Amino acid sequence: MILIKKYIPLALCFLFGVLTLGSYYVPTAASENYMEAMNQWENIVAGFAFLLGLFGLFYSHYNKITRKVDGWGYSLFVYIGFFMMVIPAILSEGKIMEGTTLTSIGWGYRFIYNALASTMFSVLAFYIVSTAYRAFRIKSAQAAVLFVAALIVILGKVPLGQMLWDTTLGWTGTQVSGIVQWLMDVPVVAGRRGIMMGLAIGGIVTGLKIIFGIERQYMGRD
Amino acid sequence: MLNKRLNLTIFSVLFAASAVCAATPASQKNAPPVPDLSGFQAVDMPYDKGEAVLLTWPVTPADVPGAVYQVYASAGKDWVKAAELPAASSLASEVELPFWAWKRDAALHAFQAEMPALFPGFKPGDGYSFKVKYVNGKTSLESAEAKVAPKANFFNLNRVNNFVLLVTIIVVFFWTVSHAKRKGLFIRRIAGLDAIDEAIGRATEMGRPIFYSTGIGSMSMVPTIASTSILAEVAKKVATYDTQLKVPHFDPIVMTVSKEIVKQAYTEVNRLDSYRDDINFFVTQDQFSFAASVDGMIHREKPAACFFIGHFMAESLLLAEVGATTGAIQIAGTEQESQLPFFFTSCDYTLIGEELYAAGAYLSKEPMLQSTLKVQDFGKAFVMVAVAAGSVLVLAGTIYKWDTMLYVVKHLFKGY
Repeated sequence: MILIKKYIPLALCFLFGVLTLGSYYVPTAASENYMEAMNQWENIVAGFAFLLGLFGLFYSHYNKITRKVDGWGYSLFVYIGFFMMVIPAILSEGKIMEGTTLTSIGWGYRFIYNALASTMFSVLAFYIVSTAYRAFRIKSAQAAVLFVAALIVILGKVPLGQMLWDTTLGWTGTQVSGIVQWLMDVPVVAGRRGIMMGLAIGGIVTGLKIIFGIERQYMGRD
Repeated sequence: MLNKRLNLTIFSVLFAASAVCAATPASQKNAPPVPDLSGFQAVDMPYDKGEAVLLTWPVTPADVPGAVYQVYASAGKDWVKAAELPAASSLASEVELPFWAWKRDAALHAFQAEMPALFPGFKPGDGYSFKVKYVNGKTSLESAEAKVAPKANFFNLNRVNNFVLLVTIIVVFFWTVSHAKRKGLFIRRIAGLDAIDEAIGRATEMGRPIFYSTGIGSMSMVPTIASTSILAEVAKKVATYDTQLKVPHFDPIVMTVSKEIVKQAYTEVNRLDSYRDDINFFVTQDQFSFAASVDGMIHREKPAACFFIGHFMAESLLLAEVGATTGAIQIAGTEQESQLPFFFTSCDYTLIGEELYAAGAYLSKEPMLQSTLKVQDFGKAFVMVAVAAGSVLVLAGTIYKWDTMLYVVKHLFKGY
């Protein structure tokens, strides 16, 4: 049992990890075909896993409805939403458009799904405002620096801000757009690259841990 | 009379000869220069997958503005025009390949012919002919044909700098792992991870659930794998305190793996009786639908703690902000630096950069895993030294015009 649960998965992980890593340095057609095959396999597994997830979702919500747990009414919408999209999709044979007119699935996609997705995305704007309010409260010297930098960037990005800058600080001869550009090109890039380098190193080490079987939590421990 | 005739003949010959002598240099002066294409060569493009041919021919004084080189290729019958290049362009010295794999010869033209684009039925190993034609107004000259059969190369020498770095990292990796078995390591405290106990304790006291999201990444993404490692440790603590854990998923494969991990965590702390199969559940594979669904659950169930660790995009703020409004302790971590500011402002603790990848080792306290943190530290030290040294060398090279050194330094640190 330990052979099937531990050693074979670890050996497969090592083998395919090394092959994938090696394919970066080997420019042959075989190497390219191998990567393509791996991507196809990933898609195939993902397709089956999606079915697994879907059945799990239905089962979980079915249980909520039958047990009448708190908020079981929301679970009904899982089925309603699913059938509202799947039945028209089957009826219109998966086509979004029939000539110049929308099919039923096309209509549902454009006027229900897109509208709901856009609504969720637009909510972000309001959340950004409340987040910005919290971020710009000056509680320390660092917060003050953040606030000043943010204020300059805001001023530089809107015409009204540029006009205000020119009116009040125009005599200094500096353009707010120049300061914004410097902020974005120098301190922001420096900070981002620092994080990115740390992430890259962490990613490489995690990859090696998995390939060499030191990190095994993703497969459950024995 | 005879003398007169002889004189006239000699005069006529001399006159004709002088006329010829005077005329020839003038015609040579006006004729455009013609290149020497005898050095034209076609070879297999080195270090590629066998789908390109490298054509080279010498730079000549005939490479004047207005003149062009036409490159022709043939699979045996007809000639196909592969490219038309201005005569003063396509120099071997302009090719962006590293110095150890490419000779930057300013006296050569170089052109890389991509064979699949020229011949749709191309197969590596087949023979092809090439020629180059010089055209400048009415002047034109063709080179001799050159034959070549492109083939795949086994190793991409252009990436040897990357390969050397990889081998070095692997050597350091094994050295630290073997070293860790003998000695313990000092690890600085990471506030975000220390707060996990506090968050779980709070949830236990309040009798509210804990939400853990692995993000919208697939299982093949390193941050998702790192997140599942943290989930294992969180699940163990949750199982120990008998608190309620909810793990909504975006990806069914991640859900399947997480189920196994959480079950294992419950088993390890002997609380398998408390394990429920619906701790991990699939929500949807649509980004904003996922955010809306999880937001709804957070809003209704008011969890005591929320963990957002993994790959997050625009939904990061949607999730974290709703969590913040419910008053939950929030711990987040992502590899997406564009989403980090949202987590900073909405969450109590945020794992920055490589802390995300160190978290599993930090929490598990396993010597083998912890030792790999040292590799990350060595890596960071190397990056710091490389950035400082590279900056100094490039600066010095620019000031003192040490072109060769600039060239070497830039190539050493570039990815190909």
